[in-house]
Amino acid sequence: MHRLGAGAGLAALQRQQESLKSFDALSNQLSTAQVENLHAQLDHFRAALTHFATHHRADIRNDPRFRHDFQRMCASIGVDPLAGPRRGGWWEEALGLGDWQSELGVQIVDVCVSTRERNGGLIELSELVRILSRLRNLGDGGKGSGSGSAGAITEEDVVRSIQALKPLGAGYEVLEVGHGVGGGGRKMVRSVPKELDADQMVVLAVAAEQRGRVDEESLVRKNGWTAERAKAALQNMLLRDGTCWLDEQDGPDGTGRAYWIPAVMQWDD
Amino acid sequence: MNFSAHRTTTGFLLPSIHSAPPFYTQQPNAATQAVFTEHWTRLLLAYARHRGLFVLRVEDAEVSAGGEWDEVLRNPRINRRVKPELLSHILDAMVGKSLAAYEPAGQTRAALLHWRLPEEWAEVLHEWATKTGQLNTILTFYEISDPPDPSALSGIPGALLRPAIAILAKSGRAQLISISDGDGVRFFPRSAK
Repeated sequence: MHRLGAGAGLAALQRQQESLKSFDALSNQLSTAQVENLHAQLDHFRAALTHFATHHRADIRNDPRFRHDFQRMCASIGVDPLAGPRRGGWWEEALGLGDWQSELGVQIVDVCVSTRERNGGLIELSELVRILSRLRNLGDGGKGSGSGSAGAITEEDVVRSIQALKPLGAGYEVLEVGHGVGGGGRKMVRSVPKELDADQMVVLAVAAEQRGRVDEESLVRKNGWTAERAKAALQNMLLRDGTCWLDEQDGPDGTGRAYWIPAVMQWDD
Repeated sequence: MNFSAHRTTTGFLLPSIHSAPPFYTQQPNAATQAVFTEHWTRLLLAYARHRGLFVLRVEDAEVSAGGEWDEVLRNPRINRRVKPELLSHILDAMVGKSLAAYEPAGQTRAALLHWRLPEEWAEVLHEWATKTGQLNTILTFYEISDPPDPSALSGIPGALLRPAIAILAKSGRAQLISISDGDGVRFFPRSAK
């Protein structure tokens, strides 16, 4: 019979266990040192970041570009500067961005609710930013007027605020509509807890290209849908969701049937 | 092109929704139509006030153009108009909210628009009588609604005058009088307090 190598047998087993034990001890030692090291680094880092944040607090709050860069920097090192007090009160203190963010959140809810009757709870992100900017400019009553970018907000700020609203369960969500169909997608904010199915997203995208107008024929032509599918999608939006409006005076003879989606119509007021 | 407000030739500012084609179609979604009806109600009352119009008839939405309501009920810039069925629906909602009243009662084709409350008409009326030096004299309804110098009361129907006079009568500032050819009224100065 042939024997196994030198490592076999009872003695070998003991030897192996001993070496495992010493490896354990060594690794414990190493990780303790590492953890200590890490703690020191973290303290250092935290001090530096706090220092940076307090020194540039005004820039972060007022300059959207600076804020963007700051947020990008934080994201790349896995820190969320806007995390509320539950995750790190010192951030909130250092920046005061928590307040800023909740204030923006309240304004977003305000705009979404007050425009809901005319858009059925769907609003284009750029439109939301436009209304918010107007609201905020009016809000500071001449003090900040003229100074352009001071206090300006970006789409990114709004998206962040909406994400911060998520725990409230209000169902606010940012949707991307129309990627693939003619390039750049549009971002829409949905403020009603209704699911938009894939077909409705396509309808939105088509309507967005036509000032808000859409009809069965264009859906069939652009997407290769059957007439039934186009009709069903539009009827759902019209009757069930209230996210589109009917026009029965369409076309040159004024008797055509078209649908309008207020969320992608551009309103001047 | 965006949906925007429009200034009419009579100087009335139409809201941006007036430039949206579906605004002229009765919406199958009741919630949507309720919003549209509210917009129409506000718009019609504001326009009536702007032009001093008292009566709105379903036939103002009939095909032949040229009526005093055309600026609002039609939008030639987008080739849309309010059809009689929609106007009828809007009128019904306005009557339901006491912002209009069918006149005469018992039909639904014409309504008086209440763009001022009876209390407000009472004040306008008394002020006019005082300013034009017609206190203590008997005036016919015709003299009020068709004065030689056009006033805020020009064209006011008896159905709006009567409640206003009743309100003034309560505070002793007017008295309704029956005269040979219909109704008359005498105004008194505001009693010193």
